[in-house]
Formats: sequence, structure tokens, C-alpha cells
Amino acid sequence: MTVSRPVYLDFHATTPVDPRVLQAMLPYFNHVFGNASSRQHRFGWKAEEAVERGRQQVAALIGARAKEIVFTSGATEANNLAIRGAVAARRARGNHVVTVATEHHAVLDTCKALEQDGCRVTVLPVARDGLVDPDRFAAALTEQTVLASVMTANNEIGVIQPIAALAQACRARGVWLHTDAVQAVGRVPVDVETLGADLVSITAHKMYGPKGVGALYVRRASKVELTPLFTGGGQERGIRPGTLNVPGIVGFGAAAEVCGQELATEGPRVAALRDRLLAALQAGLESVTVNGSLVARLPHNLHVSFAGVDGEALMSGLADDVAASSGSACASGSREPSHVVKALGLGAAEQWGAVRFGLGRTTTAAEVDFAAERVVALVQRLRAASPVEVGRA
Amino acid sequence: MTTAVRYSAEVVRRCQQMARAGGWPEADPQVGTGVVGSLEAGTLVRLQVRIDADVVADARFKAFGCSAAIASASLAADLVAGRPCAAALTLDAAAVADALDLPEDKRAMAAHAVAAVRQAIGDWERRNVAARG
Repeated sequence: MTVSRPVYLDFHATTPVDPRVLQAMLPYFNHVFGNASSRQHRFGWKAEEAVERGRQQVAALIGARAKEIVFTSGATEANNLAIRGAVAARRARGNHVVTVATEHHAVLDTCKALEQDGCRVTVLPVARDGLVDPDRFAAALTEQTVLASVMTANNEIGVIQPIAALAQACRARGVWLHTDAVQAVGRVPVDVETLGADLVSITAHKMYGPKGVGALYVRRASKVELTPLFTGGGQERGIRPGTLNVPGIVGFGAAAEVCGQELATEGPRVAALRDRLLAALQAGLESVTVNGSLVARLPHNLHVSFAGVDGEALMSGLADDVAASSGSACASGSREPSHVVKALGLGAAEQWGAVRFGLGRTTTAAEVDFAAERVVALVQRLRAASPVEVGRA
Repeated sequence: MTTAVRYSAEVVRRCQQMARAGGWPEADPQVGTGVVGSLEAGTLVRLQVRIDADVVADARFKAFGCSAAIASASLAADLVAGRPCAAALTLDAAAVADALDLPEDKRAMAAHAVAAVRQAIGDWERRNVAARG
């Protein structure tokens, strides 16, 4: 079976819009183009109906009520709204925020910015498996803690944090819990009641929907009230003013519905392909280590280190064959491994050799086999030219 | 997460062909070895020269790091092979970076490779002066 090169294995970065989603969206670019806030005519009513249908579809995927969904421009905005909005709204209680070292920059950098504004921020470490210790987390919560933010599933190593346990600890101390769930929703079952978080960020483009639209789940039962980031026309009950992205929301809703329908079969299918990829890499190479827990992990994530090889060199060399992602970044000549990989406490050879493969809805066994073959061949070539001794696995 | 940098065709070609990758035993009296960088810092270049009658008769490299580091070491080894030691010592990092059309934030990798060349020739000179003395 032939494969189309390069094979896309970067589904954590983004996903293609599913053709069913695209079809659902198309009429809302021209035929049904009204502003959902135009209450005085049919154009607006139709747009509003579409938005409310999308809201229900998104809510249904995570077991929420439609009224608990606030549409945003994406997950970065949802994370900012959750964190900044909660901190601003709870000033009377305190100014302490708890988060974790492996969070996305949309969370970590937002917390850093708040720290500069006088907030106290506790950044908890993770264990070698990438998971936060619930006891340590609970011990970090104080009477002044207004919010904790811990991602459901990590965007690099794919590990799934014990959010339900963390939520219990938060509830006992009156702390709101925010979780960035963009990598988990649509890939594994996520139910906000089971999860217990008060604020949940999600985004369409990680689940075969369009870019530029996301949502924040805001739990009504917890009486969570956020201070909005923007002022404007009062849309989304004033929490997120701004003209609603009707085609985007329609696509988000359609994507959520498709994910909900296919979740039970798609998860095991990609997990089997992920395991096939890992087996092929480990059969072809020495010293291939999996980073983070393989048990509490997204089914479509494989994050491995090829000791003695630089992840970026590997990605460059694979450019015509495989699209994946390495965590290292270069800035003005000095290089840095990803903050997530650093937080795991790996040795230098493993830190630099880290690569993320993300599988998806269109991934086939033939693609996985082709990718594994090319990765094995390139790692062998790079290792032959590397001064770093690779230990026997 | 970041994906790979877009490199010039010359960087890509060098990383595919790995011209002059390899090495010799450091104890060989004709061989000089230069090592620049560290695994911890993310770039480690080991460049060796084989010297005969004050001429770099051959050169080999091993490099750990990004494609810019690998291609720079490969090109530096190419450029000094066959040249008198004195000429090899004048190898210019900017010329290596330009020949590879390295992005601005990767030009330091050419400097690593050139420093390794100088170290390697210096190593050979030290050991041979000591042997002669």
C-alpha cells in the first residue's frame, strides 16, 4: 500500500477539518451570514439558532449544559479568560494560584504575568511519569488560593492527570479548578461531572474542527463568575463580548458530534496504531524510551526519546517523509529542551532526543509502518555520526 | 512544541550524505582532536584532522545537535581537508554560515565547527611539539 508523503503525525498540533464538518460550515459563510446578535430579523435569528445548536453539540460531548459553554477564539483565550477572569473575580478571597510545571505556555505564561502583577503562584513539579501527586497538590492549596489550573492531558507527552482527585481537593478548600482539556476532549471520554473541574478549556481545531474557535465550560453549580477580559457588546452573557464566529461555532458543534459518535471506536484504533509504531521503533533501534506514563495516556500520543540523537535534527531529516514534532527550541544560538521534557528530569541525551508523534483519524497502518522505517533509518544514520555514546538498552 | 527549522538545500544535502562523518583513534600521533560544546548544552562537535607534513591530509567529524551543527561540522571538515595547517586555521565561521545559508539564530553552529577545527590542529601541534622536544 502506498502512502502519501510526508506522513502527518502531528495531530496534537492541529487536525484537518473533517469533510462532514466542512459541509456543515459552508452555508454559514454566505447563505446564512447573519450576526447572531441581530435580534430584529430573520438573518440574525437563523445565525443564533445555528450558534445555539453548536453550543448544545459542544456541551453534549463533555456532559455539560448548553448554558455552561462560553465560545471564545480558541484555547489560549479560554485559558486566559479562566485564569485572569477567576483571579480578578476572587480578589476578595486571595491572590494565590496553583499550577503545574508541564502546563501549556498559555497557562504558565498567564500565571507568570499575574505573578508580575502581585499574584502568588505555586508551580508544582511532576514525577518521572509526568503526573502530579494529588497529595502534594492538596497540600499546596491555602485559604488564599483562588484557582488551580492543571491540564487534563499534556500536549507533549500525552499523560492524563488525575483531575477528579484534584477537583475533590479543590472543592474541599473552596478553590476553583480550571483544566485545559484541549488535547483530551474528542480523544477520550471527558465528562465535566466526573472530571469535577469548574472551568474547562476546549478548542475545535484539535478535534477536526476549524481553527479560531474554542470554548470555556463554566460550571453553573459552583456559582463561578468570571471577570471578562474584554468590554463590548455583551455577547456570551457578557463573559466574552464580541461578534460570534458563526461558521466556526457550527463547525465546532459538528466536530463535537462526530467525535462523540466515533470516540468508542477511534480511541482503541489509534491506540493500536500507536502501539504498532512504538513496537516498530523499539524493534529497529536500541535506547528508545517512552516519556511519561504509558498507562495514563492519550491513545494517540507517543512521546519517545532517541538517545544520542537531537530531536530537531531528526525532524529536519524527516521533512520529506514524516511530520512530527521535537520539543527543543533555538533562540539566538542557545538551545533549550522543552519545559515539559525538562520537568520529567530526564538525562541530557533523552531530553534532546525527545520527539512527539501524534496519530489521528486519517492515520493508517501503512503510514505508521512507513514512518517507523524512515525514523529507524535516520536515527541509525545520525547515531553513526554522533559523538554521544548510546548505552545498551 | 516546535517543529524543524526550514534549512537550505545545502544543509539538507549534508545531513543526508554526512560527508566526512567518522573519526580515528585520538592516540594516533598523526591525528589532532577538537571537541567543542557539550551534550548538556545540546551541541557537541568532535572534529579530527589527520596531518601529514603540516598539511591537513584528511578531516572527520562527529556531531550531536541540530542540522545546522551537523552540516557546519561536515562543511568545516571538507574545507580544511587538503589545506596547509596555517591556511586551515584561517577558516572563517561567517564563511561557513554563509555557505550553508544558516538562519540568523543558527549561525553560532558554524562558530562551533570552526572552533573545533582550531582545537584539533592545536591538539596535533601540542602533541607533536612535545614529541619532538
